Amino acid sequence: MKNVPDKNILLFKSCLVSVEYPGIESSTKYVFDKIGVDYHVDRAQTCCTGLGHYSDVFDQFSTTVNGARHFALANKLNRPNMVMMCATCYAINKKVANILNNNEEVRDEVNQVFDDCGYDWMKFNKGDLDSRENIFHIIDIFYSKRKEIAKNIKYDFSDFNIATHHGCHYCKVHYGDTIEGIRNPHIIDDVVNACGVETIGWYDFKRTTCGSGFSQRFVHKKHSLTVTLDKLKSLKENKTNILIHLCPNCHVQFDRYQTYVGDKIGEEFNIVHLNIAQFLALAMGADPYDVVGIQTHTVPVEPILKDLKPLSKDNKDEIIEKVSYKVDLDESEDFNMEADTVKVEVNETN
Amino acid sequence: MDHKVGVFICHCGGNISDVLDIEKIKESIGDVDVIEEYENLCSINGSKIIRDKIINENLDRVVIAACSPESHEKTFQEYVKPLNPYLMDMVNLREQCSWVHSQTSDSFNQKATDKAVNLINASIEKLKVSEAVDPILIQTTESAAVIGGGIAGMSAALSLAKQGIHVYLIEETPSIGGHMAKIGKVFSPVKIAEECGLCLLNPVLNEVVWNDNIEILTSSKLIKAERRAGSFNLLVEKKPRYVDTDKCISCGDCVEVCSQEIPNDWNDNLSYRKAIYKSFSQCYPDTYVIDIDNCDQCGDCKRTCRMNAISFRQESEMIPLEVGSVIVSTGHKLFNPDLRPEYGYSRYDDVITQSELGRILGVNGPTKGKLQCLSNGKVPKRVVMIQCVGSRDIKPDGHKYCSKVCCMVALKNANIIKHKYPDTDIVLCYTDIRTPGMFEKYFKHAQSDGVRLMRGRPGEVVKKDGNLIVRVEDTLTRKFKEIKSDMVVLSTAIEPSEGTKEVAKILNVSQTEDAFIKEPSPKIKPVMTDVRGVFVAGTAQNPKDITDSILQATASASKVSELINDGIDIEPFIATVDNELCDLCEECVKICKYKAASVKDEEIYIDPMTCSGCGKCIAVCPNNAVQINGNIEDKISATIKGILKGKKPGERRIIAFLDDVGYTSADNIGVNRLTYPESIHIIKVISVNRVLPKHIIYALENGADGIFIGEYPGDVMYDEVENKIDKIKGEISDNNIDPERLTFSKVYIPYFTGLARKFTEFDNRIAEIDELAK
Repeated sequence: MKNVPDKNILLFKSCLVSVEYPGIESSTKYVFDKIGVDYHVDRAQTCCTGLGHYSDVFDQFSTTVNGARHFALANKLNRPNMVMMCATCYAINKKVANILNNNEEVRDEVNQVFDDCGYDWMKFNKGDLDSRENIFHIIDIFYSKRKEIAKNIKYDFSDFNIATHHGCHYCKVHYGDTIEGIRNPHIIDDVVNACGVETIGWYDFKRTTCGSGFSQRFVHKKHSLTVTLDKLKSLKENKTNILIHLCPNCHVQFDRYQTYVGDKIGEEFNIVHLNIAQFLALAMGADPYDVVGIQTHTVPVEPILKDLKPLSKDNKDEIIEKVSYKVDLDESEDFNMEADTVKVEVNETN
Repeated sequence: MDHKVGVFICHCGGNISDVLDIEKIKESIGDVDVIEEYENLCSINGSKIIRDKIINENLDRVVIAACSPESHEKTFQEYVKPLNPYLMDMVNLREQCSWVHSQTSDSFNQKATDKAVNLINASIEKLKVSEAVDPILIQTTESAAVIGGGIAGMSAALSLAKQGIHVYLIEETPSIGGHMAKIGKVFSPVKIAEECGLCLLNPVLNEVVWNDNIEILTSSKLIKAERRAGSFNLLVEKKPRYVDTDKCISCGDCVEVCSQEIPNDWNDNLSYRKAIYKSFSQCYPDTYVIDIDNCDQCGDCKRTCRMNAISFRQESEMIPLEVGSVIVSTGHKLFNPDLRPEYGYSRYDDVITQSELGRILGVNGPTKGKLQCLSNGKVPKRVVMIQCVGSRDIKPDGHKYCSKVCCMVALKNANIIKHKYPDTDIVLCYTDIRTPGMFEKYFKHAQSDGVRLMRGRPGEVVKKDGNLIVRVEDTLTRKFKEIKSDMVVLSTAIEPSEGTKEVAKILNVSQTEDAFIKEPSPKIKPVMTDVRGVFVAGTAQNPKDITDSILQATASASKVSELINDGIDIEPFIATVDNELCDLCEECVKICKYKAASVKDEEIYIDPMTCSGCGKCIAVCPNNAVQINGNIEDKISATIKGILKGKKPGERRIIAFLDDVGYTSADNIGVNRLTYPESIHIIKVISVNRVLPKHIIYALENGADGIFIGEYPGDVMYDEVENKIDKIKGEISDNNIDPERLTFSKVYIPYFTGLARKFTEFDNRIAEIDELAK
């Protein structure tokens, strides 16, 4: 596994999180505190432009200037490890970092903008912030802290059928950086496993988009919701109780539209939607309203909470043991894979 | 020491003498013992003149001022006999002088004539410091090792054996035969029919077995390889069979009593075999073998065997071999279908690979040739085939290349099914159908048989209500389709086998980015590798069919034969190590990009076949123990001195150091009658790396106005030299010379117009610098 930081983290706020499900941010902070992650949220941060960018409102250049400003901010705060709660912030910022590092012409133009405005400190020098080394999603942090997660679990979710939905902008845009499965994404499943819960694993349409497609939800509403429906049907066939997300936009698409599309075809789905941070916070015993913010959800979460049982000490010890064994095994396999990569490089230089 | 030097100038039938003033050249060269001119030195008469003068005047150094050494160096090396060939030097007055500097009206070109004098002077100075060296002739051992006993390896071994060469055929599994033995039917483009693979293979296999020149080593693996000039010392580990091949009569009684059931890998794990087994009925050696990893050593087989052939006490044997050449025919493996989880290979029993379908359709396979779904034993009503699984795939874990044979393999299996089960519907989802040449006829044949085609790469295979559903976009109609199917067959990519990767490492042979064995020039030097004496054949080199594998095998056998019959003539200018001074620090081993240096018997050994004479090792040796034969550094210094001799005020002289490729490119400028300024004086060097900062600074301090260095970017030393140039520029500045007087350029043989232009531009640049300096 690549090196995932747990210090000097700038937790990057997300518009969709703040506006739609603020509980995701408070849950993330709650979990980070429990598992020992050093983070900071900064007031000077703005939107990444993502929603506007993908709806053709902001062009790439404005997005790049905006991104460069955030990178300068991160470095100024000595928190160069930027961690995103939203898959779109993740993909947008990675792309901006790649452009700024590799395209000298654009970099000069961006710096000219800062020059003209008198914001010298915001100028980007090649290598100031690296897409792969510095930009992460909260799921990466959770994944790297599976052992700590296992130690903090208080509630048992193993009676529920849990499925996962991996956002396209996490898995499919910068797949060189994605950890744990690109063709078969399973990083959320692995984090859920760390709570002692087996997910349903692969299901039909597991890899499909949520359907939102930013503007598509509005300009091609039928098409967008058909995709959502395909997935909901498959989840229902698999008797899913909870779908776990890593992207607030997917979360919106499913949670806000589930009843709507259900009504259209006369079917009930009863699937609860939780962000992975919310799920972890609930499993760790956070307050469902004050921390997890379930009151902002359209599909009520209460029915799940009603059936939730505390985890027994014996079960917990078993989970901790299992998770450490698995993490250690993964890490030793990664070590072997690294050795392999080096070998190939040697051959290429021959 | 005083040398007796003779200079012979060739008119080249006017090619040289029309432009250059030969009389003036003769007057201008002082201090030589003989100066002769002749209209055609390369003629028989020319040879007489040269030889007579050498003998009568006791000449011990000879300058031939004529055409490019590329055209006639070998001729003149012959003509100067008994003089040592390296005491003769050619001055290129044609391609690099008269042909590039045009005639000015009726009179001679004065500047070009002056340049000719400089070039001849350079040659004289160079010869004065030259020493006699003998060329190295290497003879290789008359034997070869073929690694991998598939169709390529067997064909190569057979070809070598029939040419009288002793061959060791080394196969890792218990039997030779390879993939061809198990693919069932094979396609034949001309007959538009499928033929029995094993029936075609058997005669080859038998011939290999009966040929006395072939020694077959099965259950054997290459462990170590060492290179020594014309031969390789190999170490092969032969694993025990636990069954004595001399005693076993293949009765099969042992199989009856064995209680271990193990997935049969020869049947792609679609059936079971015992721990004591024969991989297939026609295998060689035709005896049983014990799979010791899956054997509980209960001893039942041993007690049953009437021949007393079984012994658990056999041990691995280490076999040392000395061979002249090695052919790598280690083959391929197939792409792991689980890397495309969307196709559900591990989730659904009826999603299988083409290889597995081949076994199912094979009469010696798990179903005795009956097509059936693995989940329920029924004949499928519809089969969907998915092409390019892992091939032509830019996503992670995929291969960018086309696996070349899968279109034909899919069409073949589709045709076989259509013939036996005409009611079974077959849909082939393809990216592009690639059936070049005669294969196109076979493709049409499949279409007329009713095999349906759909252009699109399926996204997913799922199971709904007991049926497999293939989701695909028909890209011709742009319609999204869901195809219900009973069986889905994946055409998985061909990728290098583990054995191919291991053997490449052991033999120090380079691999391509896809980890196949790399040919140094796939266009013009097929079957070669970057290690002389190691050749490649079959799918170890890249995906290909049986016929192509045999072709390559036979070609590589010819290459082995060439080495044995012709030997290898090597330029003697290679590194030597003084063992008295060497303390075995191995810096030279580490730095050598050609992998020519190694440690043998507590001494540094330089392989003459691999050393290029680049001289990199000289620089890193802390004890100055390395030298290159033929004092090249001194020769370069002397040549520079000669070129700069008698420089007049206001005259511009630029020295261009070119490697082989650059020199040929410069000749091409002349051949095509393009021009560049007379100031350019070319010196040919074995490797640009041998031109040292001291040479450059000496030249610039002693009258050279500019230094041009040209190197072919394909040379392994290229990056090295490119990096060095900046350093040298710094040193030039330290000597108060404008570093712009040094330039470095890439050279290519076909890009001679570019080289001519670069010469002209550099000359202009130097003129500007001179102007500024005034």
